[in-house]
Amino acid sequence: MANVGRKKRLADYGLQTERTLMRRKGPGVFEQELGDLESRLGLTTVGKAVAWAQGHSIWPDTFGLACCAMEMIAIVGSRYDVARFGAEVFRSSPRQADLMIVSGRVSHKMAAPLRQIYDQMLEPKWVIAMGACASSGGMFANYAVLQGVDKIVAVDVHVPGCPPRPEALLEGIVRLQEKILAGVPPAYEIREVAE
Amino acid sequence: MTYAEVPGFASVGASRGETTVVVETARLLDAARYLRDEQGFNFLSDIAATDYLGWNERPVAGYWGHAEGRDINLPGSWGLARKPEPRAKRFSVSYQLLAVVSGSREAPRVCLQVWCDDGEPVPSVVSVWPTADWHEREAFDLMGIVFEGHPNLKRILMDDDWEGHPLRKDYPMGGEPVRFSGEE
Amino acid sequence: MTLAPSKQAPIYSGTRIPSPIPTVLQVDPALREEGDILEVNFGPNHPSTHGVLRLIVELNGERVEGVEAVIGYLHTGFEKNMEQKTWWKAITYPERIDYLSFQINELAFVLAIEKLLGVEPPPKATWMRTLLCELSRIHSHLIWLGTGALELGAISLLWYCFRERDAVLDLFELVTGVRMHTRYFQAGGLAEDIPPGFYTECRKFADMFPTRVDEYEALLDRQAIWLERTKGIGLLSAEDAIALGQSGPVLRASGIDWDLRKVEPYLAYDQVDFDVPVYFNGDVYDRYKVRMDEMRQSARIVQQCLDGMPEGPWIVDDRKIVLPPRHELHTSMESLIHHFKLVTEGYRVPAGEVYVAVESARGELGCYVVSDGGSKPWRVKFRAPSFVALEATATTVQGALVADLIAILGSLDTVMGDCDR
Repeated sequence: MANVGRKKRLADYGLQTERTLMRRKGPGVFEQELGDLESRLGLTTVGKAVAWAQGHSIWPDTFGLACCAMEMIAIVGSRYDVARFGAEVFRSSPRQADLMIVSGRVSHKMAAPLRQIYDQMLEPKWVIAMGACASSGGMFANYAVLQGVDKIVAVDVHVPGCPPRPEALLEGIVRLQEKILAGVPPAYEIREVAE
Repeated sequence: MTYAEVPGFASVGASRGETTVVVETARLLDAARYLRDEQGFNFLSDIAATDYLGWNERPVAGYWGHAEGRDINLPGSWGLARKPEPRAKRFSVSYQLLAVVSGSREAPRVCLQVWCDDGEPVPSVVSVWPTADWHEREAFDLMGIVFEGHPNLKRILMDDDWEGHPLRKDYPMGGEPVRFSGEE
Repeated sequence: MTLAPSKQAPIYSGTRIPSPIPTVLQVDPALREEGDILEVNFGPNHPSTHGVLRLIVELNGERVEGVEAVIGYLHTGFEKNMEQKTWWKAITYPERIDYLSFQINELAFVLAIEKLLGVEPPPKATWMRTLLCELSRIHSHLIWLGTGALELGAISLLWYCFRERDAVLDLFELVTGVRMHTRYFQAGGLAEDIPPGFYTECRKFADMFPTRVDEYEALLDRQAIWLERTKGIGLLSAEDAIALGQSGPVLRASGIDWDLRKVEPYLAYDQVDFDVPVYFNGDVYDRYKVRMDEMRQSARIVQQCLDGMPEGPWIVDDRKIVLPPRHELHTSMESLIHHFKLVTEGYRVPAGEVYVAVESARGELGCYVVSDGGSKPWRVKFRAPSFVALEATATTVQGALVADLIAILGSLDTVMGDCDR
């Protein structure tokens, strides 16, 4: 994907942060904004087709760390079937995965392997920070836990909860799909992240 | 049993159904072998290291609890403060022992305790109970207690090049202050 | 009382614990010179290591000659965090240690607080705690079976086990409002009363569950590949198991009849009738059988708890440690003051140190608590059964192939949150 001059912020694309979105509650607010986005970004038909294919077949990497991993495995189960969204194939190799769902607390010792796995993933790649610990360190404000995985990787979607219900994680995956379909670039093109 | 025959015996205390035997640090291996071979404590459950830095400094207020339990008819503190008893040395290492006999319906437990200061080595009991290997590594990693005679004393939970011993009382909590998004 | 067939010969003679380091299997120096040793890193991100465990394995062909486990990738500093919170708030933390049988962790800590305080929870709370702990045990074993079978190739069991797991979590949600990490136990009893409708749902589950376990066994017990991959693998003799501090299903599969629920009964375990499965071969297959039988026994305990559940208060009436009921706050000044003090400062626990051990799904889960008499714990240490189970890796993988390594790790049933705390 073409990388324009300086790194663009999400607001440049017309997307507000989640907090602002919630103020104007109502069904389809997010979708309305995205609809606007498509015309602004000027996606071509081929681009749209590629985005459709990418969005509907996101293959996650098996990155289950702690308790959230249990709910992540639950979405593979038959009640919260994630295969409906095309993401049922959890690849063990990062080279074959598109999405890294960081589920669980990231200790400083684990931060280096996490970054290594992220680097091994091929672009385009997305990251969902699942749970409070991955988003911000959660209830563990101490020496051992990295206070949010967005310090080392670029995160697309944060899913709150401790652990988030499987439905919440599915909502996160659906929002990611909508982002991809709308043509929003993956987070590493938008956010600044430590190398 | 009275536990007075344990080599290196210093004191014994019993509270809430638990017995704690304190032995001299230098005789720990003899005491461990005695308890395993003569008394049948063949199972080491846990090695817990505790840091008592600052134990006697801060007075604690509250109702008077005592070893036999709580008596709710005793008045609460009403501002009276009481300090816990001071400890002679900084660290205590408690070995929780258990006598496992297949099919038995009794579980004799005893807590073997030694006290040491910062930098004072404690003999390793790996030769007595092999499971102590990782427990002692954890106590070394998080508390900084050096175990003499341990075959593989290196960090286990923290990074290999981590400095400091996190669970000590003078080690900071870490983390970062929480910024609420409404503030900016 | 055991369920196993009659005693058999010892599993192997002597001891297989490596020396000098009991937890590291080292390659024979002669083999290292003449053989072709390949060092492979089973890194922290691996689909089959049940979390973030790193194994440095030295292979001679497919045979495992050396193994060393590196842990700490999930070290969260629970113990230090708990020292900063009041006793009441600190109860939230232990749950996340062993995130598969979460209520049993809570139980260990809460029992330690109650032992220090000297309070006895009311019978309804005791029986309900027993019930919830057995449901936690079922939950843990279901996930163990689902993921363990997945790693050995029996993929369809994942979906069956997670279907039952969702049923268990529905029950938790019905009682506590949350699927996982329920934080339902308080020092003195339960946080809230049991909502109506729970007993019928729980009974439906307990009636249905043993047939499901039969289904799983029908799929696996006589399956040739399963038997080939689990029988005779990962041997651990009784003496080695005790020397290595193993407990729980690993110890019971090696022939030692030892279950803390029978030996040191806590909660209502001395008032319910259940058997302790013991098997004598000390291999992966026996550990699997022990856990399957335990699931059935847990369902039996759940039914007995439902039958014998007493009526009455769900938490002890001592206002010094328990919040007063809300309607009293409008009328009674003392209740208001107690409520205020409890919420802001927290209750104070008498000085002392205790060690409480409960039987978690993985073995002996111990909680060593030191209190200085104040409102915050001075030191909390958890004796994590998975930490100790991983110490047995070096002993059990001797003579194993790479594929067996995965089976053995699965049978030890380690949870890295429990291991690293």
